[in-house]
Amino acid sequence: MSMEAKKVMVIGGGIAGLSAARELSRNGIQVELVEKADFLGGHAIQYACKATDTCQQCGACTVESILKEVVRDTNIRVHLASRIDQISGSPPFEVKLERIAITGMADKFKDCLKGYDKNPVQCAAVKGYSRHNAKYKTADGLLNPDICQTADKLEVDAIIWATGFVPFDPNQKSTYRYGELPNVVSGMDLERSKRTSGSFLRPSDGKPPQTIAFIQCVGSRDERLGHLWCSRVCGPYALRMALGMKHQNPDAKITIFYMDIQNIDHCFPAFYRQCLNDLTFVRTIPVDMFQTDEDRIRTRYMSENDSKPVESEFDLVVLSVGVMPGTDNVSLADLLHTQLTPDGFAASTDKLNATMTNQKGIFLAGTVQGPKDIADSIAHAGNAAGEVIKYLRRAS
Amino acid sequence: MNQTNADMQKIEMAGNVLVLGGGLTGIRTADAIAAQGYSVSLVESGEAVGLEAESRPLNGFNKAEMNILYKMVEQIRSSERIEVLEQTSLARAAGVAGNYKIWLSGQAALVEKNVGAIVVASELTREPLNQVYGLEIGKAVISQSGLEQTLASEPRNFADKTVAFVVGFAQTGNPLVMERVLRSALELAQVDGSSVYVYVKDLKVAAEDLERLYMQTRDRGVLFFKLDHAPDIELNENGVSITYNDPVISEDIILQADILVIEETIEADCANTRLADILGIDIGKEGFLQSDNVHRYPVATNREGIFVVGGSRQVQTLDQALMDAENAALQVRRLLGDGTILVPANKAVLDTGKCTFCLTCFRCCPHGAIYWNTDNKPVISPVACQGCGICAGECPMDAIQIGEFSDTAIHEQLQCSVSDTAGKTPKIVAFCCQNSAMEAAQMARDFRIGLPGGLRLVQVPCAGKIDLDYILNAFVEGADGVLVMACHSGNCKSEHGNTYAQWRVNDVQQKLSEAGLDRARLRYATLASNMASDFVCIVTEFETLLKDLEADQALI
Repeated sequence: MSMEAKKVMVIGGGIAGLSAARELSRNGIQVELVEKADFLGGHAIQYACKATDTCQQCGACTVESILKEVVRDTNIRVHLASRIDQISGSPPFEVKLERIAITGMADKFKDCLKGYDKNPVQCAAVKGYSRHNAKYKTADGLLNPDICQTADKLEVDAIIWATGFVPFDPNQKSTYRYGELPNVVSGMDLERSKRTSGSFLRPSDGKPPQTIAFIQCVGSRDERLGHLWCSRVCGPYALRMALGMKHQNPDAKITIFYMDIQNIDHCFPAFYRQCLNDLTFVRTIPVDMFQTDEDRIRTRYMSENDSKPVESEFDLVVLSVGVMPGTDNVSLADLLHTQLTPDGFAASTDKLNATMTNQKGIFLAGTVQGPKDIADSIAHAGNAAGEVIKYLRRAS
Repeated sequence: MNQTNADMQKIEMAGNVLVLGGGLTGIRTADAIAAQGYSVSLVESGEAVGLEAESRPLNGFNKAEMNILYKMVEQIRSSERIEVLEQTSLARAAGVAGNYKIWLSGQAALVEKNVGAIVVASELTREPLNQVYGLEIGKAVISQSGLEQTLASEPRNFADKTVAFVVGFAQTGNPLVMERVLRSALELAQVDGSSVYVYVKDLKVAAEDLERLYMQTRDRGVLFFKLDHAPDIELNENGVSITYNDPVISEDIILQADILVIEETIEADCANTRLADILGIDIGKEGFLQSDNVHRYPVATNREGIFVVGGSRQVQTLDQALMDAENAALQVRRLLGDGTILVPANKAVLDTGKCTFCLTCFRCCPHGAIYWNTDNKPVISPVACQGCGICAGECPMDAIQIGEFSDTAIHEQLQCSVSDTAGKTPKIVAFCCQNSAMEAAQMARDFRIGLPGGLRLVQVPCAGKIDLDYILNAFVEGADGVLVMACHSGNCKSEHGNTYAQWRVNDVQQKLSEAGLDRARLRYATLASNMASDFVCIVTEFETLLKDLEADQALI
């Protein structure tokens, strides 16, 4: 049966959206890939390789290679800086797209055109983090509408909703003084800076930190915030980055403040043994951060052994922020007539198939449905693509 | 696709698929593949496919949901495209993707079949860990499985009882282990007069809805104690006495419990080792049938046409495992198509005139793509071959040429690249794996991060393709230094290409020393595709080193 006449819209160009688009295209389906940012790859394209001498299975490099395939795929039409404005209620869906103005770029890219070395994090952002996003930009660094904004209206037979997550905003936990103390950073900040500079450096002086604290579960598993979920990725990324830091700087002293150590799929016991060897684990979550005169961060916490207060100083504090429901979930659920979970993620309606929604022809992929790592997002997206194919076959 | 049809070869693909394992994952896989129009042999070594073969506890499912599961099993039995073979196992396998020959041993004699693809859907296994605690299973000490059985049949047995769980002290554990404990604890807490205690090292809640389940359990009155070490456990006439150091008040506390529930493992089936051997696929560190390699996401193995799903590749919840099933069906479709596929004819071409049948290529192919035909000659399957060129690099007779990366083509790249750097010193030739270092190098160029003027890149399909000759030739052509740039260990798409590259670099360094050259002029480095800055660091450092070497030599 030919799928060539069929068209599917994938909303969201992160790892799940890219994977879904690729699988659909491989089955001869035309894909309309709609992304609100001015680059493809979502959060995952901003993640750094965390290898020591050995790959640590974070999967960041797989995003790069899937992006490469998608960008070259003529079955996939990409709409950047675009959002869904209207959508008809039932399949085939008529979709009206709206452009999103990308502001504040003009000043940024001037520097970046000259070279990347001056401000790698900003320049990487301007360039869409990967060379494969260059296709969508003009020579002077602006979005090229002739390539990535070619349609205002789409007609599609099915929809995959893959708009991902937002990282927890550490400002919601004000005692960490994120944004105020330069050397208190989020896991996401550290990912970006490692990806672009190649090293783990502290913001205040650009030097490699000697003592580092990772604080786990920032925004996740938090009853007070009503976040009754484990984000599943923060333990893995923190431990991988910590081992990566230790590899770059064997003298670094790294402390992980945690509630419970979560597994990393595949080979966790062996990985964890290495962590226990190289890192210090403290089972408590510090709350208050102070800046010392020596440009360090002082924090205090109760010792886990004798419940006495301990004070420690660190060159860098990393807040392991978690996976939160996307800010557009409510409006998209409204447009798509689909449901959200009490937590605000997109609700799947079938316990045995997490891609199903309450709407015919609309399927879920990736972290829009709940926290997932890169590997699980790819698997979920594959599943969604498979369900779309079955659905289109039934419908035709 | 760059190739014209003339360069392509048409290959017939068998339309049958073997699915090994008749638990719910295997069943969903068989169903999804049959829905694509292929016929499926669903093979289960146990008594029956279905819930009997499923290793995951299903106590989280209500009646309606269980009925859906029963229906899934029934549908399999009545499907015309699916042949269900119970009490049957795989005895032998040969061939390559599109045309595997398999031998099944069951109640009857060995049955031979041809299949286009194989999907392994092994289940997880469970083992009570009472021996780690030095305890025998009995009246007061029961296993998690034992508890689940009694809870299902005689929950009243636990009325007015104090029940304690220990979990995470005898194993690292995982969310599946945790979920079983949480569900049972929640059920127990609803029995009249019961008191429930959970002693746990780490709450493994990194799976959907587990944190919420934990909260529910706590709200129901179950008490959790997070300890670093297992509590002391002693049997007595009233049950067990459990002594633990309370982390909050830092004092030893004794709990007298009627029943102690011992944790169970949920891990890879040890039968996986034998299957890996039969199928020629890699096995990971924890006994799962997928090497720890991100390029295998989600269900691929090192061999084309052999896929692994659910419990055969990692500890997964049922919904994750069922996702795998759909992914396997997609990949099978992609491989088998409508019965024929087109593949490039020149992926790896063997010159049988040069071949001395030394078996080197057969042994080093990481994808199991090389076999022997009836004339006793090696054949490289164009379907199974991934074009990495490890075989070409290892072949002592240089009898194998790889697609667009023939020896001639690479030597041309090399000559151009060295002459191109006229006037710019030091001349550096970097052999770059196209999957990692080449991507990083191009990203560095595109992002205009400064690169040494004398640097030239030679692209190879995999670092395993970098022949000793290539490196030596680079020096002969006038390179001042040579970099061999591979993927990180554990990240090679062809598993061992980087290992071969490193060995060859060691060999050439030895040769350089013997010839009176500094071995530092040849360097092995590893990179990922997204490491543009790191690429620049490596080449810049190398440039400085070469300049220093020149300066030292000038002094002499």
